[in-house]
Amino acid sequence: MIRDHALIDELLAAQALDGLDAGDAALLERELAAHGDCEECRRLEVEHAEVAGMLALALDPRPVREDMADRILAEGRTATPPIERLESRRDARLGWWQAAFGVAAAVAFVFAILLATRDGGSTGVPGSAIVAFEGAAPGELAMSFTPGESGALVWATGLPDPGPGKVYELWMIEDGEPVRGACLAPEGGAVAAFLDADPSSADLMAVTVESQACPDAPTTDPVYTADLGTAQ
Amino acid sequence: MTIDPGRSATVRSVEPGGARDEDLLRRLVAGDDQAFRELFSRYAAAAHALAFRLVRQAQVAEEIVQEAFLAVWRNPDRYDGTRGSVRSWLMGTVHHRAVDAVRREQAQRRRAEQASGMGPGIEEDPVDDLLAAIDLPRERKLVRTALGALPDEQREVIQRMYFEGLSQSQIAERTGVPLGTVKSRTLLAMRRLRANLGEGNR
Repeated sequence: MIRDHALIDELLAAQALDGLDAGDAALLERELAAHGDCEECRRLEVEHAEVAGMLALALDPRPVREDMADRILAEGRTATPPIERLESRRDARLGWWQAAFGVAAAVAFVFAILLATRDGGSTGVPGSAIVAFEGAAPGELAMSFTPGESGALVWATGLPDPGPGKVYELWMIEDGEPVRGACLAPEGGAVAAFLDADPSSADLMAVTVESQACPDAPTTDPVYTADLGTAQ
Repeated sequence: MTIDPGRSATVRSVEPGGARDEDLLRRLVAGDDQAFRELFSRYAAAAHALAFRLVRQAQVAEEIVQEAFLAVWRNPDRYDGTRGSVRSWLMGTVHHRAVDAVRREQAQRRRAEQASGMGPGIEEDPVDDLLAAIDLPRERKLVRTALGALPDEQREVIQRMYFEGLSQSQIAERTGVPLGTVKSRTLLAMRRLRANLGEGNR
């Protein structure tokens, strides 16, 4: 079957430049899923990515601090080479995340029901689910998603200011391993964000306070967690 | 890690001698410090320039670069050669993080402006020295020439989206150009850039 790639081409061009709005990002996900294992889609994605990768070279290089490579390597050496380190990090964090999982499982169910029923029930979207986060910090944080589909909405009210130069970061915990979700910068304690992933593959969601650079792995303990087993 | 550089890159990296990026990535998977240093020295300054260009804050730009390369060191196996070159992966990672930071900053600024009752501040002129090419290394000159060959309205879209971190709807809002036009200009600009870069590389 011959498929039309005009829309995908247009969306991939903007994606390569990080210029897609959330709605179009979700549309692209759906289009790519509909095309399945599509060689033309991959070709277009690579072409646009390569052009975007070249654009950075238009700028005059800006030297980094001389010790930056050493510091990165030193942090890496605190454990072992990358592959072994990944395994050991997974093991080391397993207990930490599992403990968080236990706490979340105990209390998130109540919050999920409260949130889901506040406006008379569910999200109103067939098959969708809501999960509420729990934590020692004040505020309410919840996520709506459709299991098996990419894309989730995250919103919150009453969150405390994470501090100067800090943001909240959302993690999906899969088999005890944190996977980066999204950065959350509250405005007046409120957050509305789009998670460009399918959270149903995770066992647990967690939120930590991180630097504005949004690191790839959590550096602090979670302030909020949510057990996806309690999703409504 | 899937590395198949042969099938993917339509715009080839011009590597300044030494090992190929993909070979460095392979060594990185085995924990080779020297491979990391080589990759870092090849791209860190360009990544830093990109991050700084977007976030305009030295400390945040440096953090972004450090986190991006730390992620490469920790998880080199996340690179998928079927989705493009190492360079596009690296720069894409840095760009994505920097754009995240820009949009958070924009949101915070909007909040501050609303709180102070002020309207949006005077915008910086997006046209800058990008196109002033004097004695530039070949690759930089190639990209600047390709940018310079774009029609003004297409170059503006690339400039605002890639170098300032604006989304398509933000560009439409700020320029008064219909969103559909912004989208079509984005695609046309990317196609023309690819053609221009390909020609310049021959």
